Amino acid sequence: MKSARLNKLTPYMFLAPAGLVLALGLLYPIAYMVYASFLSWNPSQLIGEADWVGLKNYSDLLVDEAFRESLWVTMKFAFIVVFVEMLVGVGLALLLDRNIRGISVLRTIFILPMMIAPIVVGLMWRYMYHPSVGIFNKTLKDMGFESIPWLSDSTWALVSVIIADVWQWTPFIFILSLAALQSLPKSPLEAARIDGATPWQQIIYIKIPLMMPVLIVTLLLRLIDAFKVLEVILVMTNGGPGLSTEIMALRISRTASEFRELGEAAAMSNYLLLFLLLLTMAMFIYNKIVETRKEKLLAAAEEG
Amino acid sequence: MSLKKTITKTTLLAVSAMSLVAATANTAYAGPYDKYKDTQLVVNFPAHPHYNAVMKVLPEFTKETGIQVEVDQLQYLKMREKQTLELTKRKGDYDLLAYVVFSKADYVYADQLENLARYFMNPRLADPKYDAEDLIDGYVSNIGIAGGKKGYLPGATGSLFGVPFGSETSILGYRKDIFDKHGLNVPKTYDELLDLACKIPQLEPGMGGLASRAASGHHASHAFLLHLAPLGGRIFDDEWNPTVNNAAGVQAAEALKTIVDCGAEGAKTFGFAEAGASFLQGRSAMFLDSTVFAGQVNNPSKSKVVGKVAWAPHPMGVRKGSQTGGFGIGIPKNAQNKEAAFLLMQWLTSKKADKLIALQGGNPSRYSTHEDAEVNAKFPHMKTFGEALKHADPDWRPIIPVWGKINADLGTTLSKILTEDADIKTSLDAVAKRTRKIMQDAGYYTWK
Repeated sequence: MKSARLNKLTPYMFLAPAGLVLALGLLYPIAYMVYASFLSWNPSQLIGEADWVGLKNYSDLLVDEAFRESLWVTMKFAFIVVFVEMLVGVGLALLLDRNIRGISVLRTIFILPMMIAPIVVGLMWRYMYHPSVGIFNKTLKDMGFESIPWLSDSTWALVSVIIADVWQWTPFIFILSLAALQSLPKSPLEAARIDGATPWQQIIYIKIPLMMPVLIVTLLLRLIDAFKVLEVILVMTNGGPGLSTEIMALRISRTASEFRELGEAAAMSNYLLLFLLLLTMAMFIYNKIVETRKEKLLAAAEEG
Repeated sequence: MSLKKTITKTTLLAVSAMSLVAATANTAYAGPYDKYKDTQLVVNFPAHPHYNAVMKVLPEFTKETGIQVEVDQLQYLKMREKQTLELTKRKGDYDLLAYVVFSKADYVYADQLENLARYFMNPRLADPKYDAEDLIDGYVSNIGIAGGKKGYLPGATGSLFGVPFGSETSILGYRKDIFDKHGLNVPKTYDELLDLACKIPQLEPGMGGLASRAASGHHASHAFLLHLAPLGGRIFDDEWNPTVNNAAGVQAAEALKTIVDCGAEGAKTFGFAEAGASFLQGRSAMFLDSTVFAGQVNNPSKSKVVGKVAWAPHPMGVRKGSQTGGFGIGIPKNAQNKEAAFLLMQWLTSKKADKLIALQGGNPSRYSTHEDAEVNAKFPHMKTFGEALKHADPDWRPIIPVWGKINADLGTTLSKILTEDADIKTSLDAVAKRTRKIMQDAGYYTWK
């Protein structure tokens, strides 16, 4: 009797250390942040001295124009960046999924941008975008074109940071899609080839659908990352001109250090967290729906 | 050199022998520093040209007093975060710290800096020959004193929490060679300045008029404020009503826009470093910003305009008024060696050390140092700077805890005016409205 109960408890005992680490390392900081978001907390105060303001930080943010603009900029940035990166990254992977001489060297070169520290990427692009000595404007001028206000015009500034981010993170998608492509089962492709499918048909009807699970995870990872990007933009534009490139992470960092409102910064982080959580959940639910529908279709086909 | 060493050695010996005698004889007669000999002070200074000069002079202090000083030099933007953490501890690591002027509001309000009155009252600590009147008024009012007028200025209820050290003001640098070549006069008023700023690009194709900061945020706001005070404006009136959108405010924003439009290529996103580089590379004919910049002009490794630059006071609008800013030094409430820290503070800002530091390229805090012949022989611009400092305006920007937020809003709005041609009056009206809300939340209209 006793040993039976002990047996039942055994798995929990083995799980306990991991659970403890999870609680301490993950849940405690998040709980702390949630608690802080209900405070009017100035960094010169200890957390115990801060006033409790309830949901004021959250409601203030909703009517704060700068916050809403920053949210809009973040969305624009994240969705455009991820869309372009997926397109280019998957495209490159499809192109390079073959036996070319020196392919491993090529692959290494392709993923180089990803390995560079973000601050360096920011600095590098800032110098390349420099209005008079930067390579882009110099080339444009040498070719007889007007120079472009890369970082000093609000529309161009967003385009410029998008270009830099695409440059840095396309390789990430490329390398994951390439791995997915190379681990695809050979039989469906062979069958398709025997049936006379053109390369395009192979890509659209066989390769992409089979890669889908990997692509969705990749997309999600990139999207989460794109919502949190900070250093590159911090170095390149510091959010300017105006608020045109002030993405959320930058706004949060400024709220904490420049405006000295830790509570509001925490509330902002929680909004971002909630938003990303919803996004992730929506993505998984969509995936689930698609899969169940596929299974149903398969079952129906077998029956028929 | 060796002779000097021997002399110091012998004096040291003599001093220690004397203190030994004094100790055994149990007489009260001792030098001000004896009690603190071998104390180990930890101070926090920024990495900044002035403090780099201070580092060269500090060994002199240890030699003279026997007090050891360990310096934690941090990048100045990182300093505030570190200090905020340090100051909230029960026992702090720093005995003396250099703070940026806008930290004054936060630290004093949070009761984290020592009131200096009890040190200047203490006959064993205060040097009667310190001559505090010689310290530059504008700097002391701006950086040192709090609790008087508007809370952050001197006045009947104010007192001293820090001493200016590494402070700076705004000054106009111009290219003598260009001005001579075209027979231009050095601008004394804003009308002349703006006129010249746009005339120069026509006279010297490819060269910008005045190099100014304009980048979104702090930089744009700083540049605007530089013009606002001389043009007769203020961010708030005496009852904290935002007045940034009045006629003077609009005029200051227009001035900034004119300057940036007539500036060198890329002027719309210049920060302090880019504006400075533009002047040093010879791509702009004038420069109106902090005096701390002056040290680089004649450094051939950084500057292409060595020997071609002259200095003049910040031009006047309806009044004379240059900025006040930079650093001050204060003693944290949670410091371990407050009295020795005060002695270091007093020594560093004394006439003697002020001059030594100035000779190493620092920014002096005293009028006398600006007029000193030896200092002027090495840095001929010092006299002009000293004259300009008589009109330094301690109230050119408010020093209140919510300023960071207002400053950021002002800075981004100005950036929109500069880069997107937003309407000046409408934009400033919106800033005033948002500022009122921020002030309301912070409790500034409680007494209305």
